Amino acid sequence: MDVPAATRGIGREACERFVIDEARLLDDRRLRDWLALFTDDGAYWVPAEPNQPTPHGRVSLFYDDRELMGNRIERLEHPLIHVQTPPSRTVHLVGSITLEPMRTEPWLPAADLLVQSSVMMAECRLDAQRLFAARQWHWLRVVDGRLRIVLKRVDLVDCDAAFEAIALPI
Amino acid sequence: MPDGSTDTRSLAALVQPGRVHRRVYTDPEIFELEMARLFGRSWLYVGHASQVPSPGDFITTELGRQPVILIRHQDGTIRVLLNRCTHRGVKLLAERSGNRPRLVCLYHGWTYDTDGALARVPIDEGCAPGFRTCDFNLATAARTGTYRGFVFASLAPEGGGLPTFDEWIAPMRRNIDDIVDRAPAGEIALDVGVHRYRFRGNWKMQVENVIDSYHVPFSHASTVNRKGVQFSRREGDAEGAKVVDGQRTAASWKRRRGHDVGHGHGWTSNTELDEGSRSSPAWNEYRQALDAAVGRERAEQILTPRMHNSMLYPNASFMGLNMHIRVIRPLAVDLTEVNVYPIRLVGAPEAINVRNTRLLNVTHAAASFVQSDDIEAFARQQAGLASRQGDWVDISRGLDADEPGDEPGTRCAPSTGELLVRAQFRAWLDLMREA
Repeated sequence: MDVPAATRGIGREACERFVIDEARLLDDRRLRDWLALFTDDGAYWVPAEPNQPTPHGRVSLFYDDRELMGNRIERLEHPLIHVQTPPSRTVHLVGSITLEPMRTEPWLPAADLLVQSSVMMAECRLDAQRLFAARQWHWLRVVDGRLRIVLKRVDLVDCDAAFEAIALPI
Repeated sequence: MPDGSTDTRSLAALVQPGRVHRRVYTDPEIFELEMARLFGRSWLYVGHASQVPSPGDFITTELGRQPVILIRHQDGTIRVLLNRCTHRGVKLLAERSGNRPRLVCLYHGWTYDTDGALARVPIDEGCAPGFRTCDFNLATAARTGTYRGFVFASLAPEGGGLPTFDEWIAPMRRNIDDIVDRAPAGEIALDVGVHRYRFRGNWKMQVENVIDSYHVPFSHASTVNRKGVQFSRREGDAEGAKVVDGQRTAASWKRRRGHDVGHGHGWTSNTELDEGSRSSPAWNEYRQALDAAVGRERAEQILTPRMHNSMLYPNASFMGLNMHIRVIRPLAVDLTEVNVYPIRLVGAPEAINVRNTRLLNVTHAAASFVQSDDIEAFARQQAGLASRQGDWVDISRGLDADEPGDEPGTRCAPSTGELLVRAQFRAWLDLMREA
């Protein structure tokens, strides 16, 4: 695979570190720091259908651009967010991380690297624990020598199931 | 006093002026009766023609406890068949949707046509003397009715004081038209996928919630940013709706009316808060398409919709503000699944439909900003009702303060009251009586 000039010096290890740190920000509930990982044209997508080709014109659990991500975080900080009173605690496990050949889509802004991984998130709220399991893809761009997210796509194995309320990004 | 009994008189004692007994939400026996009587008798929403566009296309769902198949027959008509092989009772189709030229039971290969007629039994020389395939066709819904592509069914035959389809749908036709007429082609499609969520609460909580304007400013307070504006909602809107702050908003919620139109059906009206002027290239293109299809004056009427939300009692809501059809599926006395189908306006620019679908992600997905707080409210209502602290649930807001509605025989009142909830319980009691 051709390595774009911008990604020189950024190898598998740096990508692995990046997706692990990204998950950790979610577990630490540092949501504004998490938001800052995305490029200005970045997006967070959790399809509601298996093998969904596009978020445009099909239902998704999440399809947030930066503005909507910001709205979502502001809501999570609101004192009257009933679905997070009390808040959840989460723990992510990220593994099987691989660098993939670039895949482009007409609606997807340009990216330099594509990283695939498996993720599990256990969420505990009140006395209940539930488990989310997914394959995820990070389309990454190098901005001023640092990795930023152009698109984070999370394909839950049960994406088309009937869920109780989901308040936190996976 | 209400005890554990379920005869008509005991049930009637659970529904009193301005209050209902907690058992209607918590008693598993009452839930079983609801499945047998209310869902066994009432007209129920099944699906839309656009979900089964070609012969052999099907979706599977349940009418109360009965698994059914909505399928397009080879002759183009739509049928509602019971999803149960007439041989040994095996559920024929497991998928939620698909296409079959014929329905073949996985167990012994009994094969049905798409109208439910038993076409073939393997090794037929082994059949009992006098066995006739025509005695083993799939059961069908006793009655079906359609309006503008929406398919409804009742598992009970005509008679017994039950309304005909025309009687049942008549008061809600205009509300269905309100949405469907927005499509330049005069038809809608439910083909962009479905949001599925579930909650640990009784099904009636969702049925009450869709026509409840009282909860909105408080339950959904967190959807409003520090400037008092909700996230931008629709194509062409300059900014989101203001749902909480400001005198104009408070007055607007008070002006919203709830309409009790019979059979448990109800709808809430729009206010100028929902409309405002909309403009964008896609919106203007849509406006032109609608003008061309129906004329400028009619387009103006259509785009000043009268409806905010509506409930076709007992299992479907049609929402006009963020356009979708919602189907309520009771699973247990304290567990409910809800399916939300965003509406695609046929003949509208793609951008309009893409935007509506995207809006529904934010408003009604399991991970949405709005619905997630309702799911929490329902679960906490169910938890609270488990307590024996008080046996009665108050639904008295606006009691005896309603006025005659627009149409003869209808009533209306501010939709921050509970007129429509009381109307639902009147219908509930009527459908729950002993045969």
